[in-house]
Amino acid sequence: MLTELDTIQTEALAAIRDVAEETALEAARVGFLGKKGRLTVAGAGMRDVPAERKKDVGQKLNEVRTAITSALEEKSAELIARRDAAAFASIDPTLPGRPLPQGGLHPLTLVLDEAVRILRRMGFALAEGPEIESEWHCFDALNTPADHPARNETDTFYFENGKLLRTHTSSVQIRTMEKEIPPVRIIAPGSAFRRDEIDATHLSAFHQLEGLYVDRGVSLADLKGTLEYFFREIFGSKTEVRFRPHFFPFTEPSFEVDLKLHAAGRAAKWIEIAGCGMVDPAVFTEVGAKRGDAAYDPDSVTGFAFGMGLDRLAMIMYGIPDLRLLIENELRFLEQFRG
Amino acid sequence: MNVSLQWLSDHIDISDYSMTRLDELLTFAGIEVEGVRSLPDHLVVAEILSSEKHPDAEKLSVCQVDDGSGTPRQIVCGAKNYQVGDKVPLALPGCVLDAGDGRTFSIREGKLRGIDSLGMMCSAKEIGLGEGEDGLLILSSSLVPGTPLGEVFPAVFELEITPNRPDCLSHLGVARELAALAKKPLKGLVHHGVSTTPVKSAAADEITLSSETCPYYTARILRGVKVTESPAWLKAKLESIGLRPINNIVDLTNYVLFETGQPLHAFDLAKLDGGIVVRAAAEGEKFLALNGEEYELSADDLVIADRTKAVAIGGVMGGEDSGVTETTTDVLLEAAYFAPAAVRRTGRRLGIHSDSSYRFERGVDPLQIAGVSDFAVQLILELAGGTADPELLVAGAAPAGPKPVALDNDYCRAVIGAPLDDGTIEEILSSLGLEKEGDAWAIPSYRLDLVRAIDLVEEVARVHGLDKVPSRTRATFSATSKADQFYDFLRSVQDRLAGLGFYETRNLKLVSAAQLADDLATTHRGMSPVRLKNPLNDEQDYLRPGLIPGLLASAARNQRFGRHDLRLFEAGRVFTATPKGEEIEHEHLALLLTGARVRRSWADSKPSLLDIHDLRGVLEQICPEGLNFVTIEDPRLLCACRIEIGAGKKAAAIGLAGIVPPARARELDIATPVLVAEMNLKKLMAARRGDPTHADLPKFPGSSRDVAMLVPRNLPAGAVADFLRAHPEPLLQSFELFDLFEDPEGVKLAKDKKSLAWSILYRSPDRTLESHEVETAHAKLLDSLRSGLHVDFR
Repeated sequence: MLTELDTIQTEALAAIRDVAEETALEAARVGFLGKKGRLTVAGAGMRDVPAERKKDVGQKLNEVRTAITSALEEKSAELIARRDAAAFASIDPTLPGRPLPQGGLHPLTLVLDEAVRILRRMGFALAEGPEIESEWHCFDALNTPADHPARNETDTFYFENGKLLRTHTSSVQIRTMEKEIPPVRIIAPGSAFRRDEIDATHLSAFHQLEGLYVDRGVSLADLKGTLEYFFREIFGSKTEVRFRPHFFPFTEPSFEVDLKLHAAGRAAKWIEIAGCGMVDPAVFTEVGAKRGDAAYDPDSVTGFAFGMGLDRLAMIMYGIPDLRLLIENELRFLEQFRG
Repeated sequence: MNVSLQWLSDHIDISDYSMTRLDELLTFAGIEVEGVRSLPDHLVVAEILSSEKHPDAEKLSVCQVDDGSGTPRQIVCGAKNYQVGDKVPLALPGCVLDAGDGRTFSIREGKLRGIDSLGMMCSAKEIGLGEGEDGLLILSSSLVPGTPLGEVFPAVFELEITPNRPDCLSHLGVARELAALAKKPLKGLVHHGVSTTPVKSAAADEITLSSETCPYYTARILRGVKVTESPAWLKAKLESIGLRPINNIVDLTNYVLFETGQPLHAFDLAKLDGGIVVRAAAEGEKFLALNGEEYELSADDLVIADRTKAVAIGGVMGGEDSGVTETTTDVLLEAAYFAPAAVRRTGRRLGIHSDSSYRFERGVDPLQIAGVSDFAVQLILELAGGTADPELLVAGAAPAGPKPVALDNDYCRAVIGAPLDDGTIEEILSSLGLEKEGDAWAIPSYRLDLVRAIDLVEEVARVHGLDKVPSRTRATFSATSKADQFYDFLRSVQDRLAGLGFYETRNLKLVSAAQLADDLATTHRGMSPVRLKNPLNDEQDYLRPGLIPGLLASAARNQRFGRHDLRLFEAGRVFTATPKGEEIEHEHLALLLTGARVRRSWADSKPSLLDIHDLRGVLEQICPEGLNFVTIEDPRLLCACRIEIGAGKKAAAIGLAGIVPPARARELDIATPVLVAEMNLKKLMAARRGDPTHADLPKFPGSSRDVAMLVPRNLPAGAVADFLRAHPEPLLQSFELFDLFEDPEGVKLAKDKKSLAWSILYRSPDRTLESHEVETAHAKLLDSLRSGLHVDFR
């Protein structure tokens, strides 16, 4: 019987080895291990084995079953793996990806968002105000003389009811101080409007970012440190920043900020990027009169303000040569900023 | 303002300052140097002595030139526009010329095609004297060879003087500023504050002042002057700053203006009919100015007149018929003060901007008017002869000079944020001509801008320089504002849309009247678009009432460049006016989709077109709170839908969606359906659920049943959904439309019917439902659908 078992094992393993398909493997399993399979049938012969040999034969029977079972499993795994591989064999992974729609943000949004992220880390909160403004918020409260040229109808858009389109986001300084008491530390991105013909460097509607910090003891040193930090975060820690004295009605002292920047392939050049200064005490006085309290008493608080053109910042950051590209919304342009 | 360096050197010795250093000095004092015209060294006048063809180069000539050294110099030249005997600029070896773009090149001795060339003859462009024509710059024949060209064209700064510094609108003023900055003395007067001429109060028939806008008027009579060409030095001075010489009297008044900042005017006495009357113009009074233009004046304008007619617009411009000409022998020289606001008003209204009005409208030094008159009279007598009346005729009084200003040095230090010592502060103020008087500072009469302590702080900060102030960084904590919350919400919407394949656009906020027809945002009766009073042109005369007009324009533009598959969005402010005329600003979001659903590729070579269900799918992505389209009638759209968030009584309308009428799309050359939606972002934000609240996961399985219902084709699926949502069955957990079948041929289904197949999920939170419970609930639902919506089941 032991010999027979050896023979079964040899034949079974050979049969399994030569199997090429899963159905044949199943047939082999049934042929050897099924109810009428050769091993099953041989196993039935255990009854006739003398008692003293039952143990040896039983052991042999188990060994043979185990060998055949594991050969079957091994072969089965091999056949399944072969089938799986065949199922994917014809795939060409070098084909271009199945296209999904691609989109992106406007470069101005990207610039604004970078600025906002930096300034928020520096403790500024956002503020906003109307774009259709009163002359008081846009000019009077900002210490702009009644006959200042900026108020001309040739320069500023007006409405029949006397309101105007704000010419700068500085009006949000006033809007904020009307509502909030110091310390005030805000940034206000938004649209501003000037009566300019649209060309490569002018838009009748453009974007600014305004900043205001009012507190006790705010100084030019704070203004300088704040803007240096901000521009170095954007343009790199080695960026040179300089402050040129200038004049704005609503700040005193006032400065223009230049950055020394490299355009591609050119020598580094000073580029004007922002205006800033200490809030003119006349602005606090005007706000105080409107509020009817002493929250902005110019003898107790000082503040700095700054403003910059976001469109210009985008031009500088991305090397955009013509502002009109920013309002034409061509995919050929927008796709370049997909990020 | 153009400032000649040579002219400045009449007042201050700045020969040790290079142009670059001067530029920096002025720039960091707040005087912007907009341009510099300066000729390099080793650039001289040369006379061309001979010119012969280059033996080996068709286009070159070999010239011998006189460079003033006595020995002819050989130059190879490519220009053709000269003749032998012409005087031209010659760059000698060592000369450094500007190559543009911030680069320079040096002139060296060399060979051109084998022939020695010992320098370069230059065009106007090559030496920075203008864009000019090609070819050599031909100079005046009177120039002497060897003269440095810098003497012929002295260096000039083009300065931008900020409006608060009218005292710098003269060479004397700029010299004063430089003296303070460079810590150098002035060679002569600080200003013409002293007059030695006796003053005579003018009689009424000599000068009458009848307007507050001219508080002070002086006149000096000169007789027997000879009007001629100006001497060379005077002409050169005026030409150096870009003025055209006219005659000695006119040139002198111009010279004095640019020298002192005080505008003067010379009248031909013979053309005046009686004394001077300073009065308001008559309404509609006509005036022929010396620029040849006739102006119609208003009662708001000030004129200088004689008994019968206006002879000048006060402080702005003289008249064509009363000025000094070659026949003039007697002159009335006006030196006056005109109120800044009035001059500005008149200049602006008439559109005249003269050198005089520019200074009067910013404010002239009130205390040097008589002194400047003296100075001018002296010059006229020297150059034109004649005699001056011994007295200065004066009417009114000059406005008072600035009052003393108190400055607490601690305040100064606090604003600047730097530990400046008292000495430094006081040294700076003194250098600017201020004088300490006790606690206060006396202000020079030309510094009309120094009125408050902060004005003095500005002077200290400006002269000290911010570069010397240590930077400080300190912050205050800021609470999240409403604007912060909105910004973050908007950013999340922007990012989500970009991720869904949309490009963000930003259109101009000003639109044309024609574009208003594309607007979808104005939905309430009585609301109207906001029109500008003074638009720039009729392409931009309204504020956008909504975002669709801009998006359609952007879509049309992209179509023109062959980009047919578009997913665009814009977020931004829109503007409307209430019936009462009150403007309202809203934050809106709009989407536009058109063209293929996916990009054509190997995976889908004939992609289907985007439809309104794509639009809704996108909106469902950006409003996960549950969104409904409610069909409405709106002539501006096909398939018009109101976008609602929430259901039933809590439903909030947030905007509009639909298909742009194909006729309009075709006008824009868009052949595919254009799907648009516009909504109010703040409403969308308000409808957004707050922080998520965790709900326990269901402990028991649900059981679903499918139902295919046959309904009229025109019954909206939304109506069925509403019905299901309202069905009062506590076990009904959720439902989903998983199949829609229509047969336009009417074969498998009647043409006027459609089949909607829903999967309905039943579940109980506290037990596994028995099969019969589900069947009972489902049967009730089917009954209810049958009786409530009259649907049949397949």
